[in-house]
Order: sequence, then C-alpha cells, then structure tokens
Amino acid sequence: MIVRPRLEDHLVIGKYTGKVVIGVGLLMLIPLAVSIGFAEWDTAIDFIVAIMACFAFGFGLQVVCRTQKDLSWSHGLVVASGSWFFATALGALPHFLSGHAGSYLDTLFDVMSGYTTTGLYLLQDLDHVSMGLSMWRHLLTYAGGQGIVVIALTFLFKGTAGAYKVYVGEGKDERLLPNVIQTARAIWLVSLTWLVIGTVFLGVRGMTLGQGPVRAFFHGLWVFMGAWSTGGFAPQSYNTFWFHDLGYEVICIVIMIAGSFNFALHWAMWTGNRKEIRRNVETISFFVTLSLTTMVATFFLAKANVYPDAMSLARKVFYQLASGHTTTGFSTIYARAFVTQWGPIGLIATTVAMAIGASACSTGGGIKGIRMGVISKALVQDVRRMISPESAVIMEKYHHIRDTWLTDGLVRGAMTVTIAYVTLYGVGTVIGTLYGYPLEQAAFEMVSAASNTGLSCGVTSPFMPEVMKVTFTLGMWLGRLEFMSVFALIGYGYAVVRGR
Amino acid sequence: MTVRLRIVPVVLVALILLALVVAPAFAAEAPIPKNDPTSTQLVEKPKEYNGKTVTFAGEAIGEVMVRGDYAWIHLNDDAYMELNVEEGAKLGGYNSGMAVWIPSPLTKQIDTYGDYKHEGSIAQISGTFNAACKEHGGDMDIHATTLTMIRTGHVVDDPVPPWKAALAAMLVLAAAGLFWFDRATRNRIAPHRGV
Repeated sequence: MIVRPRLEDHLVIGKYTGKVVIGVGLLMLIPLAVSIGFAEWDTAIDFIVAIMACFAFGFGLQVVCRTQKDLSWSHGLVVASGSWFFATALGALPHFLSGHAGSYLDTLFDVMSGYTTTGLYLLQDLDHVSMGLSMWRHLLTYAGGQGIVVIALTFLFKGTAGAYKVYVGEGKDERLLPNVIQTARAIWLVSLTWLVIGTVFLGVRGMTLGQGPVRAFFHGLWVFMGAWSTGGFAPQSYNTFWFHDLGYEVICIVIMIAGSFNFALHWAMWTGNRKEIRRNVETISFFVTLSLTTMVATFFLAKANVYPDAMSLARKVFYQLASGHTTTGFSTIYARAFVTQWGPIGLIATTVAMAIGASACSTGGGIKGIRMGVISKALVQDVRRMISPESAVIMEKYHHIRDTWLTDGLVRGAMTVTIAYVTLYGVGTVIGTLYGYPLEQAAFEMVSAASNTGLSCGVTSPFMPEVMKVTFTLGMWLGRLEFMSVFALIGYGYAVVRGR
Repeated sequence: MTVRLRIVPVVLVALILLALVVAPAFAAEAPIPKNDPTSTQLVEKPKEYNGKTVTFAGEAIGEVMVRGDYAWIHLNDDAYMELNVEEGAKLGGYNSGMAVWIPSPLTKQIDTYGDYKHEGSIAQISGTFNAACKEHGGDMDIHATTLTMIRTGHVVDDPVPPWKAALAAMLVLAAAGLFWFDRATRNRIAPHRGV
C-alpha cells in the first residue's frame, strides 16, 4: 500500500526547499556586484528581479511551511531533487531577461546544464553577453559542482541531523568528517584553495598571451570554474580554443583532472595521505580507460591523417579525451570538427570516455570510475572462481580510502546504477535518431548530456526539436543526481495522487 | 501667394538640411562583402579548403592577443556581425567565426572589439586556410596577409526598460514583506505540528 504523505511531510519538504532557494538568491549577489562594477545596469536589474523572486519564493515557503520536524531519508531525497527543480526555474530568470535565449525552455536547459556541470548551452550570441551574466553562468557551474545543497548546508542549515540526508540526495555520499556540515565546509575549503591557485595560474598565463589584466583575470576565474567543476562553460563561443596556447591547455587539463577526483581523495591528500592517489581504485580506473580511449582515437586519427604531425595529434586528442573523460566538456576544436575531421571512430572513442566519466563524489558525472573498478574486479573474481577448485574461496577487494571486500551487494549496486545510465543513454540516443540525426551523433550528444560532459558534435542547437531539449535537460538532471533522488520525487508525486 | 505655397520652400530647405545631416551616417554603412566560403562552410568541408587562399570578413570579437610580430584575432561572420542582441538583432543561433593569425601591425586598424558594450569593427582579411595548422598545434585557422577595414565598431547602449524596473520594485517589496513576516512569526508554530 502506498501511503499518502501527510501535511507534516509537505511542510518539512517545503521548509528545506525554501532554504536552498534562498541560498540560490544569495549566490546571485555575486553576479549582481559584477554587473554594478561594470556599469551594466540592465543586467543588474535582471539580477535584482531574480534575487527578489528567489527570496520571495524562499521566505514564502518558510512562512507557509512552519515545522520543527527533521528530515527523513525520503524527505532528503525529495528536497534535493525538488530544490534543483525550483533553483533551475528561478535561476533561469537572468538568462531569460537578458534577451539572449530563444525561449524559457532554452534558459531552463542552460541553467540545468550549469548546475549539473554539463556545459551544453542554448544561449545565443554568447560573445556579446554581459560580464554579469557570464559570471552567473560560471558561478552556476562552480556552485553546481560542489552541490547547491552543499552551499545551503554550509550557510543555512544549522546542525540538523537531516542535513546528511539532503547531502546524499544530491549524489554525494562521502562523509569526510564526522559532521555533514563540517564535510560541506571541508569541500569548500578544498575548492576555494584550488580556485585561488587556478585563477592565478590561468590569469597570469592569459596576460602573457596578450590579454588585458581585467579580461585575463575574469577569463582565468571563469575557465577555472568551468574546469574545476568539470562544467565546460567558457566565456567565449570558441571555448578554450580561444587561447591558442599549449600552456593554457596544460593548466586546464591539470584542473579538469583534479576536479574530476573524489572529494574523499582530495581530503586524503589534503590531510597528508599522498599514497592514496596511486592506490585508489578510481584513479587507477580513470588512467586505464583514459589511456585506452586516447590510444584508439590517436590510432584512427593518425591513420586518417587529420593532423599534420605527432605533436598536434597528441595535443588535440589528449585534450578532447581528457575533457570528455573528466566530463568537463572543454574543447579546442570546433564542435562540428568531431564529425567533419574526427569521424565515427573518434566520435565513438570520445563517447565511451564520456559515458564512463569521472569519480564518484566529485564534480563530475557519468557511470563513475569506482563502479567501473568494482565491476572489473567482480569480473576478475568470477574468472578466478571458474578456474579454481570448487572448494576454493575466492575474494577480491578494492582500495578507496581503505580496503573494502567485494560483496554481491556492492556489485549489484554498481551494476544497477550502470544499467540505469546505459538505459538513459540509450533512450536519448533513440529519440535523437527518431528525429533524423545519425546514430553516432545522437549517441555522442545524449551521452554528453546525461554524463554531464558538455562536448557537442553540433546536434545541440537553439533550433533542435523541443522534445530533444527536454530529453537532454532530464538526462542532465537524472545523470547528476544519479537517479534515486529524481525517482523519489516522482514517487512522492505519485503518493500524493494515488496514496491512501 | 497662399500660405500653402509659402510653406513649400521652407519644407524643401528643411529636407535638404536633414539629408545633409543623415547622409554621412548612411555613407559610413559600407556594404559588407558576402563570405565565400563562410566559417560554417570551412568547418563543414575543411579538406576542400585546406591550404587555399580565402577572403573572409567578420566582426572582430573580444580582443586582440598580440604574440610578438603576430597576433590572434577572431572574426565572427554570424547573425550578429552588424547588430547585436542588445541593439535589437533577431536571435539567429550560435556565434560562428574563424581564428585569424595575422601580422600584429595590421590589427591596429581595428578600433573596436565586440563584447556586451560594443559592436566590433568589421574587417576583411585574406590568407591561407589551415584545416589543422602545423604551426599552431593542429588549430583550424587562417594565416592572414592583408586586412581591410569594412566598418568601424561602435558603443552599444542597453537602457533599462521601465517595465523591468517596475517588476524589480514590486518583487523587492514582496520579498521584504515576506522576510519581515517570517521573522515576526517565526516562533508561532502550531502545537500539533511540533515533534
């Protein structure tokens, strides 16, 4: 029997959703300040409208949903996915008011892409958008990478035990420190330290490349945010191709890879456990699959004679593949060049890298390295069992912060989520092909959206069918929250209607 | 002479004066040459154009990045090269353009680079198209040898529409009211709702 949620359940969900939306409004103060600083008055008004809409909505929910009840697990999941929904709807206001979007659906697509650190966009005339809106686009992706719930946890939730349940609902389940609020703050400590160092490196490099100090600083900051959050947004439509510099690309690669690592791994390194990076199952899995996909793409592009020399070939292939595998979405080639220069094998290798994706509990998306590691270990275990005597007890373990024995439950969990991702990739690909896109291009684009990567081969465009925009938006949302929270929200809606 | 007839010379003089004032503005609007190939064609058929000399016009966007004797500029030949969204251009899809490697002295002719507050100058360059440039790590670019200015850039105004200001004011009042009400009634929780 499905139990219909009681009034108290609605109140607790409304209260915490309101808090997260207020957090989004507070976040918009930063692009508002940038707009005022650059005397972009129309953009500043756009942000005032959006901030006040968030505050009115958030405080309105606080007024209506008065309760002292704490969150249960199901509440946490619904709050996480519901917050993302409202944060997207209200966070899209500056995009819409800017006049650069074809429809509100396009702005929802862009903001969902930002929060989920995907990087696909439908905003038009990007090269003429204001500094304030650029700041918001990149801040969305930076905040989304840490988790917008993490932000609210850090600043707005006061020591509630239920906070952990919302945190998990956002697709993060590592508790770095005993208290989840401390964990959220630890995530911020790591991210902000990287922010300062990364921005300085990119900014200084930008100045040596001929950028003025102000543009070099903002481009450095935004490119850092795009790289660290594995978001892939960049201030110019040319993406990181804009800079035409190997040094800039190397800095981006370092930040992208660091951003794609598990926060628990960062914390282990931060607290002096340097060996962890060599032993962790996710880093091992990442380097194996990155090497394999890079080798395949390099081999076929070399055969096709696309690039004039080995250095150019290595530089282009490694950058796009590292970007795809970390689910960042930066590129130094034109989107259509994936089709017109790289061809089907290049597209497929990049698609596989994107599908596998980054580490769990990171800013990245995709199936995740830890699941690939667990499934590979399970496969090895089964093969060993087959060739060993029946009486032999064959056990496998993997290392992630500590050694863990492989159990059937663990393997089943990894397989379930993997199958869910593959199904999602498949459904989106079929929809794309039904609209007439070639199979490999439809697959590339859907995998890019659902793994929160953001590389495009030209399918994503303001003129693509609305159904595909909705499919990609839902794919980004499901992929980022790893299904369970969104399923909980759907279940909650079903229980409201059909429960007793 | 009737009053109507006396007005005719006055109107004629006014029209001539108006024409003199407006004419320079029209004269400055030099026609923009149509690109053949366009940036889209270059990206779609890189092999066909690789190594060929192309003539390409577009809006100078962002900034010039000087690297010694040469510089990078980016020319957009998209729907916004004459007018951007802030000035009322119809949305026409993504930006598109080409990266151009050019002797840096030539870039001095470009007075404005396009961004939110500026519509960039439109320049026409001529040079060799590289599908994957050996000198620049495989980048798709044009190595230009000449640059001709087609149209100078200009500052873009973006005034605040009154409806937007009114909407902002209303929302400020609504948010402030709800914030105050939330604070004022925070401790009044119905007994049956408490845990």
